[in-house]
Amino acid sequence: MLTYVGRRLLAAIPTLWGVATAVFIMARLLPGDPARVIAGINASQDQVDHLRRQLGLDQPLPVQYLDFLGGLVRLDLGTSAHFGDPVLAEIGSRLPYTAELALAALAVAVVLGMLGGVVAAQRRNTVVDVVISTVSVLGISMPTYWLGLMLIVLFAIQFRLLPAAGADSPESVVLPAVTLGLLSVGLIARMTRSSLLEVLGQDYVRTARAKGVSPARVVVAHGLRNALVPILTAIGLQLGSLMGGAVVTESVFGWPGVGRLLLDSIFSRDYPMVQGLVLLFAVTYIAVNLLVDLLYVVVDPRVRYA
Amino acid sequence: MPEPLWRRLLRHRSATIGLTLLAVFALAAIVGPLVIRFDPVRQDLERILLPPSLAHPLGTDNYGRDELVVLVYGARLTLGLGVLAVLIGVGVGAPLGAVSGYLGGWVDMLVQRLAEILLAFPSIVLALALVAGLGPGLRNVIIAVGVSSIPGFIRVVRASALQLRELMYVEAARALGVSSGRILLRHVLPNAAAPLIVQATIQMGVAILVAAGLGFFGLGVQPPTPEWGELLGEAHTYIFRDANLATFPGLCILLAVLAFNLTGDGLRDALDPRLG
Amino acid sequence: MRPHRWLGALVVACCLLAGCGSSANIGPTGKQTRLLTVAVGVDPDTLDPMRQTTTTVTNIVQMVVESLGRVDQTGKVQPNLATAWQESADAMSWTFTLRTGVTFSDGAPFDAAAVKANLDREMDPNNVCPSCSTLAKAVKSVDVIDPGHVRLTMAMPLAADVLLGLISLANFGMMSPRAIQKGTPQYAQQEQPVGTGPYMLKDRLKGDHVTVARNPTYWGRRPVYDEQLFKTVPDTATREALVRSGQAQMVLLPPISDLPSLQKDPTVKVLLAASDRTIYFAMDTADKTQPLLQNVQVRQALNYAVNRDAIIKSTLFGAAESMTAPMAPSIFGYCQVPNPYKYDPDQARSLLQRANASGLTISLVAPTGRYMQDWQAAQNVANDLRAVGVNVVGPRTLDWPSYIGTVVVPPVKASVDAHLLGYAPQYLDASTAMQILDPSLIPPRGLATAYYDNPTVTGLIQKALVEPNRDARAQEYCDAEKQAWNDAPWIFLWVQKFPIVYSAQVTGIGSVPNESFYTVYAQPA
Repeated sequence: MLTYVGRRLLAAIPTLWGVATAVFIMARLLPGDPARVIAGINASQDQVDHLRRQLGLDQPLPVQYLDFLGGLVRLDLGTSAHFGDPVLAEIGSRLPYTAELALAALAVAVVLGMLGGVVAAQRRNTVVDVVISTVSVLGISMPTYWLGLMLIVLFAIQFRLLPAAGADSPESVVLPAVTLGLLSVGLIARMTRSSLLEVLGQDYVRTARAKGVSPARVVVAHGLRNALVPILTAIGLQLGSLMGGAVVTESVFGWPGVGRLLLDSIFSRDYPMVQGLVLLFAVTYIAVNLLVDLLYVVVDPRVRYA
Repeated sequence: MPEPLWRRLLRHRSATIGLTLLAVFALAAIVGPLVIRFDPVRQDLERILLPPSLAHPLGTDNYGRDELVVLVYGARLTLGLGVLAVLIGVGVGAPLGAVSGYLGGWVDMLVQRLAEILLAFPSIVLALALVAGLGPGLRNVIIAVGVSSIPGFIRVVRASALQLRELMYVEAARALGVSSGRILLRHVLPNAAAPLIVQATIQMGVAILVAAGLGFFGLGVQPPTPEWGELLGEAHTYIFRDANLATFPGLCILLAVLAFNLTGDGLRDALDPRLG
Repeated sequence: MRPHRWLGALVVACCLLAGCGSSANIGPTGKQTRLLTVAVGVDPDTLDPMRQTTTTVTNIVQMVVESLGRVDQTGKVQPNLATAWQESADAMSWTFTLRTGVTFSDGAPFDAAAVKANLDREMDPNNVCPSCSTLAKAVKSVDVIDPGHVRLTMAMPLAADVLLGLISLANFGMMSPRAIQKGTPQYAQQEQPVGTGPYMLKDRLKGDHVTVARNPTYWGRRPVYDEQLFKTVPDTATREALVRSGQAQMVLLPPISDLPSLQKDPTVKVLLAASDRTIYFAMDTADKTQPLLQNVQVRQALNYAVNRDAIIKSTLFGAAESMTAPMAPSIFGYCQVPNPYKYDPDQARSLLQRANASGLTISLVAPTGRYMQDWQAAQNVANDLRAVGVNVVGPRTLDWPSYIGTVVVPPVKASVDAHLLGYAPQYLDASTAMQILDPSLIPPRGLATAYYDNPTVTGLIQKALVEPNRDARAQEYCDAEKQAWNDAPWIFLWVQKFPIVYSAQVTGIGSVPNESFYTVYAQPA
C-alpha cells in the first residue's frame, strides 16, 4: 500500500516538472513587458528599465529558468512582481477562501446530486426521472457568469436575501457556492442514479427486500454504500472543472480567492505569481486524484493495489 | 438481432429532446443565412436596445441590429466553433490515445504525462493564456478551445485501446505479423468509436461554454462577429439596462449545450451494452 | 436568581441591544455614521504612496498620506502640509513654509526633517517611483532651513504650476520618518503607510478590501464617518448590484448603459464628475506602410467622418463631451480651438478625394474594458469611417499588457495605423497634457505614440515649461493647441466624465477633475 503511494508520488515529479516548465515558457510567450505593465503607462523608460532589473527579467532565459527551478526545490516560489511580497505568502492568504468556496460548492453538488440521483433511480423511466436528468444537466449547460449574475439579480437585488459580492459575512459564500456547485450536480446525479440502478438489481438486494427490509434501508444501507465507488470517481473528476469554474465565479462575485488571483496575475504579467498558482493547481489536482484512489481502498474492500 | 442504435436512442426520452433541439439549431445555422440577408457590420445607433415588437420580434441589440437575425447568424458560428474545436481535439487526441494505450511502455508514460500537464491547467485559464498569446478572434478561440479538449480524448481512446490490447484476436493478429499501424487503424480506432462519439458530443457543448467564458473577459470572438458567446459577453454589462440582451443569447447557448449533453448522455446509454 | 446570573443576563441583553444596532453608530442626527462602503474596480497593487500608478488606489492612499499641496475640487493647488511657498527671484530655489502643530498618526512630529526624509526617499534613483522622474531631474537638493521651513534647490527652473502640481502628487506624499527608515525594507516599499491624513490605514485584505479608520490626531476638520471601506469588485455589473442591494453606499464606474435608469432612480444619485481624461485614436503620422496618413488632409478627413455626438449619446449614454482642444477643459492652459471638427461626412469624402485617398485602408486597434465603452466606441468609429469609403481593417483588441506592447513602440516597430488611447494627466497643467505631442517623448522615451513632430509646437511647449509669466504661459499653450488641432495627429474623440453613483442617503461626495473621488467629508444625508 505504502509502495503504491510512493510510486504515485514519484510519478508526480516529472509531471510537476513538466507543468513548471510549461508555465515558465507560456508566461514568457505572452506578449507585453511586465516591467512596463507594473510601472504604469506614465512611467519613464528609465523607471521601466530599473524595475525590469529589479524583477530579474533582464537576465538571460536559461538563468531565469534555473533560478526558478532552484527556488522550487527550496519551496521558494519567488516574489510577486505586482504586489512585491512573497508569492507563497500571497497564495497562503487567499487560498483559504477558494478552499471554502470549493468545499461549499462540493457540498451543494453532492447533496443535490445524490438526492436527485436516488429519486431518479427509484422512479426510473418516469417523468420524474426525465425531469431530474434534464434539470441536473442544466447546471453544466450554461455559462457560469450568466448563472452567477442572474442569482445576484434575483437574491441580492430583488429579494435582498443575500450579499451580492465579497466575503464579509458567513452568508456571502452561498451564492458563489451554488453557482459553482451547480456545475457538478449533473455528473454526480447521473453517477448516483446509474450506479444505484446497477446495485439495486443485484441478488443480495433482492434478497434483502424479500426478507422485508424497508425500501429506504435497502437503498441507503446496501445501495449507496456499494455505489460509492463510482460516485467518488465523479467527485474526483469534478475537481478539474471546479477549479476552472472557481476562476470565473470568483471574478463575478468579487470573491478574494486564488482563482481570481490567477486571472489578475495573467493580466498583469506577474510571472512568479502565475507560475506559483499554476503549480498550486497542478499539485492540488494530483493530490486529490491520489486521495480519491486511496479512498477506494477504504470504501470498497475488493479494490487492492499491488 | 439486437435493437438498432437509433431506436435505442429514441427510447431515451431526454436524448430525443436533445436531438430535436440540435436539429432545430442546425436548420437555423444552415438555412437561416440563405434566407435572411444580414450584414453584421452595419450599425444603426438610432435604434439601439429597442424592446420586442412586430418589426423586431426579439428587439434590437446595442448596435441597433435585429436580435433575432443576429442570433440566427450566430447559430452557424457557435455550432461551427464547437464542431471545429472538437475536430482539433479528436484529430490530435484520438491518435495519441490510441498509440499510447496500444503500445504501452515509455510511449504510454510520455503521453500520459503530457496529458496530465495539460489537465493541470484549468481549461479556462489555458484558453485565456492561449488567446492572450495568439490574440483574440474566432480562429484563435477555436484553436484554444480545441487544445484544451485534447486530454479528454486521449484518455477516452487510450482506455479503449488498453482493453483491446488484451483481446485474443488482436494477439493473434500480431502473432501473424500484422503491423501495429494496421491493427490501430482497423481494430483499435473503430472500437474506440463509441466512447469517442459520446465524448465528442459532450465536448462540443463544453467548447461553446469555454468560448462564452472567454467572451466574459472580452477576449473571445470579437464583435461584430455575432457568435453567441461574444453576444453574451458584451451583454453582461448591459444587464440592468436591458436584460433581454443577455437573456436571448444565454438561452440559445443553454439550449445548444443542453442539447449536446442530452444527446451525448443518450448515446452513452444506448451504446453501453450493459444498460440496454 | 443569584447575582452573577443577573449580571450574565444583563451582559447578554446589552450584547443583544448592541448587536441590534451593530451596524449603526448613531450620530447626533440619528443616522448611521460608522461605516461608508465604496465599491471600486481595482485591487490596490501597492499602498506605498511613492509607487502609485493608479488614480483610484491613489485616492485611497491620499486619505492617509498627505502631500505639501492639495488639488482642490476646481483643480487648483491649495496649501496642505505646506501653508505657503515662495519662489526665488532667479527661479532656482523654492522655500516652503510648513504647517505647525501637525503630527503623524504614530506620534512623530511633522517637520522639515520629515519632509527631507520623504523627498529624498522618493527621488532616490534606486527606488521605484514611476512618476518622480520629472521632479527628480529638476531638483538638485532638499535642505532643512529650520524645523518649519524647507528649501528645494533647483538644477533647472520649472514653471510654478508644474512644480506645485508635482508637489501635490501622492507620489511625493509625507510619511512618518519612523516608517521609512533608511536601511530597512520599508525604505524601498512601505505597505502600511503612516501619514498625517484624516484617516489611518486600519486593515487590508488583498483582493477584497482596504479599510481606513478616522485619525484622532488629524490637524484639520474631523471627518464624519468612523471608517471607510473600499471593496474590490472587478466586475462592473456586480459593482452596480452592490449599490442597488445596499451592500455599498457608493460605486465608481458603474455600467455606462445603466446611467439613464440610475439617473431616474430616486434611491441613488449619479455624479458625472468632470475628468481630465481625453479619448482619441492616435494615428501613426510617420506611417511608412500607409503614407497617406502622413497627409494632414487625410487625417482631417477622418476627423470629419466621425459622428461623435451620436456615439456619445448611444454608446456612452451621455457620459462624455466632444473634445474641443487636444486637452480637457479642466486643465490649466486649455483654450477652445476656433474650428472643432463637426460631423460632416461629405466634407470627409471630398477631402479624401482631393488627397487622392478615396480607397484608403487603415487598421485600427483598441483596448477592451480599459476606458469607458472603449471597445464598443471603437466599433462605432470604424463604422463611421467605413461610411465615408475608408477600408477599415479591424478594430482588433488585445489584453492591456499586449496592447501597450503593441502601441507604445518606436516608429519602426509600429504595426497598426491607429490605436485608441485615453490620457489623463496626473495634475491639471498643460505641460503634462502636451507631453504626448512632444517629439522628445516618442516611445520608447514616453507616450507620444502618434509620433507627432511639429517644431513650432515643440518650441512653444518647451518655452511654456519654464515660462514664469502665467498669462504668457497660457497663451503659448493655446497657440500650441491650435496648431496641433489643425495638424490632426489624432482622431479627436471626447473627454470622458467620471461617473460616481451613490446612495441618496449619503451626501458630501466630492470629486477632483483628475479622476479622483473625494469622500473624506461624506456624511449621511
